[in-house]
Amino acid sequence: MTTLPEFPAEEEVRYRALQNLDPQGAGVLDVLIAGLHDESWRVRHAAAEGLQRLPRPGEVAARLVSVLGERGETGARNAAAEALAGLGGAALPPLVALLGHADPDQRKFAADILGQLSLRAAEPALVQALADPDLNVRVSVAEALGHVGGHHAAHALQRLLGDPEPLLRLAALEGLTLLRTPPPLSELLPLLEDSRLRRSALRLLGLVPQVAATERICRSLASPSRSVREAALSALGTQAALESMRRAEVESVARAALRQLPDAAARLAEALEADDVSVRAGALLAVAALGEVSLVVPVAEAAREDRLLREVLATLGSLGAEGGRVLLVSMEVLSLPARAAAAEALVDLVDASSVTALCALLEWAEDDLRSVVVRALGRTRSPDAARPLVDLLGEPRLAGAASRALSALADSCRAVVLELLEEAVLSRASPEAVMALGRVGGAPALPMLRGLARDADPAWRAAAVEVASEVDIAVGREVARAALADEAVAVRVAGVRVTGRLGGPEAGALLRSALQDEDVTVRRVAVEAVGVSGARDRAAEVERLVLHPDGGLAVAAVRALSRLGRASPRVLREAAGHPDAEVVKAALLAGAQSPEGVALASSLLSHPHWDVRAAAARVVGDSGGPESLVLARQALEAESDALARRALVDAVARLSRR
Amino acid sequence: MARFDDSRPEMTLEEFRLLRDHVYSHCGILVHEDMKFVMERRLWPRLEALGVSDFGAYHRFLRHDPNRHAELEAAVESLTTHETYFFREPSQLKAFREELVPVLERRNARSRRLRLWSAGCSSGEEAYTLAMLLRDERRFEGWDVEVYGTDISRRVLAMARRAEYGPSALRATSADLLERFFVPAANNRVRVRDDVRAMVSFGHHNLLDEAGSQLVTKMDAVFCRNVMIYFDQSARRRVLRILRDRLVPGGYLLLGHSENLLNLGADFELVHLRGDLVYRRPELPALLRSEER
Ligand SMILES: C[S@@+](CC[C@H](N)C(=O)[O-])C[C@H]1O[C@@H](n2cnc3c(N)ncnc32)[C@H](O)[C@@H]1O
Repeated sequence: MTTLPEFPAEEEVRYRALQNLDPQGAGVLDVLIAGLHDESWRVRHAAAEGLQRLPRPGEVAARLVSVLGERGETGARNAAAEALAGLGGAALPPLVALLGHADPDQRKFAADILGQLSLRAAEPALVQALADPDLNVRVSVAEALGHVGGHHAAHALQRLLGDPEPLLRLAALEGLTLLRTPPPLSELLPLLEDSRLRRSALRLLGLVPQVAATERICRSLASPSRSVREAALSALGTQAALESMRRAEVESVARAALRQLPDAAARLAEALEADDVSVRAGALLAVAALGEVSLVVPVAEAAREDRLLREVLATLGSLGAEGGRVLLVSMEVLSLPARAAAAEALVDLVDASSVTALCALLEWAEDDLRSVVVRALGRTRSPDAARPLVDLLGEPRLAGAASRALSALADSCRAVVLELLEEAVLSRASPEAVMALGRVGGAPALPMLRGLARDADPAWRAAAVEVASEVDIAVGREVARAALADEAVAVRVAGVRVTGRLGGPEAGALLRSALQDEDVTVRRVAVEAVGVSGARDRAAEVERLVLHPDGGLAVAAVRALSRLGRASPRVLREAAGHPDAEVVKAALLAGAQSPEGVALASSLLSHPHWDVRAAAARVVGDSGGPESLVLARQALEAESDALARRALVDAVARLSRR
Repeated sequence: MARFDDSRPEMTLEEFRLLRDHVYSHCGILVHEDMKFVMERRLWPRLEALGVSDFGAYHRFLRHDPNRHAELEAAVESLTTHETYFFREPSQLKAFREELVPVLERRNARSRRLRLWSAGCSSGEEAYTLAMLLRDERRFEGWDVEVYGTDISRRVLAMARRAEYGPSALRATSADLLERFFVPAANNRVRVRDDVRAMVSFGHHNLLDEAGSQLVTKMDAVFCRNVMIYFDQSARRRVLRILRDRLVPGGYLLLGHSENLLNLGADFELVHLRGDLVYRRPELPALLRSEER
């Protein structure tokens, strides 16, 4: 028997004893219930945890509810409440019953814990409990409804907004905010007149997608009370993020209001430091509305909170070229996350005057920041940006970004870019220069590209092969054919990719040996190339790969066959049995339109992977007939994954209309 | 947000979940759903660098490509939060210095050797801070003292080794400390003094990697602050088991202030200091509890 008739004296020992109890042991429930009454909060907590691990949670819940009734045992009652809140659905029946207890204290406990459980099933009982004679209980019930949710809950909370008791009105406001279901404006506006309710009402107002709400929120930006101003900012941030609201509209109303305030900038600076993230979000919007360039540094620093990245980028973006200039010279004082956000924003803010500062940044910034700076340089439209970018082609980590930036820069200053690229290729700076040269130089670069396709260094050959076809198809075909027999993997990969892209009647014959290449990357690219080029003469070889244990190869095979129109029922069936879920999803996609595909999808609605079930649900919804409806409904019943459920709900809706 | 690069692909919720799960199983970081936007922004450069057209294809790359391991590292690099600064959470540092350091000195008086670990050290500020604290303590003169900083991100490790910092890293550093432990560097930045740098070494380590952790020597104290806040409960448990194993019996574990270990079982015992709450690997196999769990 697992008994501890008396707790040993030392807290640590009692704590460990509870931690190590065997949940299956006899008498363990009694020991843990006794532990709830320990003098040490740590031991009580350990007991509460242990109770959540026991078998027969229904029995445990009933015992715990009885502890709630022990007057004078505050510690034990709180620990019991904690345990109940961790028990899930099993705690529901005894707690709902407790809502009818004679003692209001007990009823309040029940409501509080039901709120923590947040189970929709508690909704009817809680709505009913709003008629409780005791005010404290009603307040707890209203709060719980905000966590539990549901149509009736929202409705009941809305009715409470008219209750004479301010505590209830407050709980209703908070609950409706949690449920994101604002009442009509006409019911909400009067509550703003009550100073006790103003902050909560403002936050709820933020969920009303109407300009009239924006205007009312903005009036509170002038409030002498800091907490009211912060609630208004938070509401503003919420409003701008509402889908049915146009951000520009919110900004313009806010602008008008903020311009009336003499100390708006100082107040916003303060709000950007607020503890509440939603206040900071609103402050960011307000800075954008006001166009307050002086706040560019604190705005960027707001990105230390990841969740604000979107707002930070939007606000920095709205501060225009002037904001960009200030930002650029402030980079070195910014924290790492702020600097990353600032660099992103700069990409859209730079102009020819930014080149020097951007280059200075390249000198000391971290690597991933530098790649953003490189992108920004490509957008300055300044010939001065060409040289530093060409120099970066020699840095392996930045070469790709530099090459893309040079292509962008060439739109405005082609001659300079081209000249420097030729120079770079001649001085053998890096193979990336070849790619850039081909893209920028066009036909005149072909002789050089041809020569490079025979270079001694495979990286240069590969680059020349890749880009030649973008310049001239005939030349591209020729160098690609030679590349297919190259001894270096990188060059063969380039040759295969180009052969696929260019297609033509010979493609299948050309790709034949690549499909048997010793290197798996070459084989995989070859399978893709077969699909891209439409080489039906290679379908048989590709079919054999559907069962290949390398999931990447098998996915490529299914996709290629689908492009060729050769995803036969047999292929689909084989792919659907592949252990790699990605292959199964590829099969679903390949068969999406056909009756076999729909049958397959129906059989995969119970696949062990949620993403396969979701993909199957989409196919059934897209192409299933009325007979699929029953299946989809059944699957929906059994589905526990949120995303798969979403796909099934959508499928059921679409099938019901069919 | 239409303004920014309309051409870039959006991440569907399903792609988000797949990528998130993939990242989670690698390093324990659980990206919350409201962070989809952030994930999308941070991974775009990866898609661009690979020439991959959408996030579904990116996920398949991470699953299947021969370069998938390197790419997963790159993805984790871009997704992790590296926010840190010198002398962060001063009250905890004070408690460590005043209440634990004397204990460690007494305990190690014979070996005259002390090892601290900054686990999840980001760009090195925490590791150097600890070295500075110990340096300040005359009591360890002539001892063999080392602070070991590890992180999953190679990029921050490179920064840590460079040891050059700007104002935001120094926002909690007093003028006096600045004067004593840093020298000026280019671009308004400062560099950690060589004698402090000599006390610190860095290494690449995934806190979830049990085999890799065997390379870490036994520690007298581990600082693992503001790292596990990004993990879920089960990843935290795994990490704690590993950290415990790397501590000498009686060694201390210090977590960030917002981190609540209450639910993490009996692997550690709670130590109430005057200024803080820290955890300790039990000295001896405690009563009623088998050592191997
Ligand atoms: C917010 S920083 C904390 C830095 C420092 N400890 C402090 O408190 O200031 C978190 C660091 O943990 C690192 N990290 C996250 N997951 C990790 C893992 N599984 N293994 C090792 N380091 C990890 C991140 O790369 C990041 O640099």
